[in-house]
Amino acid sequence: MRLAIAFALTVAQALAGPAQAGVNEALDDHILPGFERFAGASADLDAAARADCTAPALAVPFHAAFDAWLAVGDLRLGPSETGALAIAFWPDTRGFTEKTLTGLIQQENPIANDPEAFADLSIAGRGLFAIEMLMFDPDFADYGPESYGCALVRALTADLARQAAALERGWAESFAAVLRSAGAADNARFLSEEEAVRAIYTQILAGLQFTIGSRIGRPMGSFERPRPARAEARRSGRSLTNVLGATEASVMLAEALADWPLPETRAALARVRDTAAAIEDPAFADVDDPAARFRLEVLQQAVAAMASSIETEIGARLGLSAGFNAQDGD
Amino acid sequence: MTTRRNFLASLVAVTASPRLGWAAVGSPAYIAAAQLPDGVHVLVGLDLAGAETFRVPLPARGHAGAAHPAQAEAVVFARRPGYFALVIDAGTGRVLHELMPPKGHQFNGHGVYIDGGATLVTVEQMAEGSAGRIGLWDVASGYTRIDGFATHGIGPHDVRLMPDGRTLVVANGGIETDPTDRTKLNLDTMCPNLAYLGAGGDLLEKVELDQELAQNSIRHLAVASDGRVGFAMQWEGEPGMGWPLLGLHRRGERPVLAEAPLADELAMKGYAGSVAFSADESEIAITSPRGGRLNRFAPDGRFVAAEAREDVCGIAPHPDGFIASDGLGGLIALGCEGARPLARHECAWDNHIVPL
Repeated sequence: MRLAIAFALTVAQALAGPAQAGVNEALDDHILPGFERFAGASADLDAAARADCTAPALAVPFHAAFDAWLAVGDLRLGPSETGALAIAFWPDTRGFTEKTLTGLIQQENPIANDPEAFADLSIAGRGLFAIEMLMFDPDFADYGPESYGCALVRALTADLARQAAALERGWAESFAAVLRSAGAADNARFLSEEEAVRAIYTQILAGLQFTIGSRIGRPMGSFERPRPARAEARRSGRSLTNVLGATEASVMLAEALADWPLPETRAALARVRDTAAAIEDPAFADVDDPAARFRLEVLQQAVAAMASSIETEIGARLGLSAGFNAQDGD
Repeated sequence: MTTRRNFLASLVAVTASPRLGWAAVGSPAYIAAAQLPDGVHVLVGLDLAGAETFRVPLPARGHAGAAHPAQAEAVVFARRPGYFALVIDAGTGRVLHELMPPKGHQFNGHGVYIDGGATLVTVEQMAEGSAGRIGLWDVASGYTRIDGFATHGIGPHDVRLMPDGRTLVVANGGIETDPTDRTKLNLDTMCPNLAYLGAGGDLLEKVELDQELAQNSIRHLAVASDGRVGFAMQWEGEPGMGWPLLGLHRRGERPVLAEAPLADELAMKGYAGSVAFSADESEIAITSPRGGRLNRFAPDGRFVAAEAREDVCGIAPHPDGFIASDGLGGLIALGCEGARPLARHECAWDNHIVPL
């Protein structure tokens, strides 16, 4: 009898496929709670700004909101495909954030007191990096409690809380069902269960690539020309924190997606932590010192090694590889 | 509209070689190249429901294809740098003709049948320097090379016939490539253009974008029945700029850039792989396999909507609006009310889906 039950379970699992189980766990163990926590942390930041909008008063809730964001911030799927950019507009290659904020402040644009109009503002002028610039950039951070800058910070935190709640709803009430119903007759987004697994797996690797190429690669620049001013969240001194937070999040998501252990990935994450501990400047401002640049390069290699481990431990096992057309480039 | 010349030409083409028409291979609405799970490449005919009407093997991965308007044969171009193009019998898969570009030339992407199928037009570049050339081939005599002329640009990739039945529009991508591989040599100085050429190769009009968009390579084309041209671009400059990737042009006017909201633009990853007008020409769409999505616009350039689909690249008109194909084997139809799945095949659809 026990054998029969065990056999029945195995058959049921085989029919459901390891794929389906992984998608549910990725959603329920990591993605949905992550958006819930970020929505909570954003609401806390907004509440703090309403009580006291000045930069020193907001440092703790700002960092808490950014930390919460990193757990889910590299996802570019469903509501996050475009929604993530309005929360974390970086890299800002064309300097849109500074331009937008400077324009608003110079005009004392009344949009700061109009929440509905504010939602139509360019995504470059909203979200965590706009708040960071106002709070931490010396050109902006000295705003007083009665100033336009203060009103703008409150408008930004209110907008962030609204966006975070919308993202949480978008995932929980809509897109999670699209992932869970992969392969259903009316699902044009995912034509099979395997496609949903693949989509999440692709997000994990793309997030790590972003950390390797942008979070670490942009400030590294070239050996002849390091670019410390291109470090992510350098104004708030979070560049290294973001590398670590995003990397940890990708392992959590990978472990939720895979219903088997990932020992090589775990070991690679420990190595990422070790190499990060050797970094002296958390904003990578010392990258023009060859020794510091070398340490950053070692960190970059450690993250790349971790991505390879995930490819081995998940991608190879599921037979997933990069897109046929995305790779062709013609 | 069938001109007398076209009619006579097609008559000659059909009578000269007793070849089967498309009805003999299930009257496909589209042809598309694909890779099977075992790595074999095939050319597939598809009906409007996304079902297969024929499948024949290809000797290698191709880039684009062009379907003969009457006979059940298609020309498939090698991936760049293209040393050959193959004319495939859609009924048997037999290679009817192997086209070799003239010495010093390379096929560089696409081609199109004109004169009712009497002539094949190929896009070529000089191996050294990448200067663009058009090749003309006579179909009835077994695809003999009959003429060639300049495209008035570097690194051309796509070519289409304008509704007047004579004028060619060419996407001169602007990129000089290494003669032996696809290494890009001139990204700092590239200068793409859209060129309209007369039947004899005379330059009728050349369109260039503003200098800040010089690194936006004009690569793929769609032409509407009223002569509007949509051109899809691939950004070769610094990533993350979010420049528009679709332009619209009408002869004699300034081009209009179709801009999506910034987040939707950035999600395309600076890369549009294909472009098509919808069946009723009320919309135009570009695909991005890198972004896993497609952006839809009105013909005046206004953004309409986006649709997410992994590794999507091929796009063509469909009674719903559009049909899109992807590297996961999916075929979806897109209409005003969004997307619906048509079919999923065990293959990876290659870059383009070609309507018949």
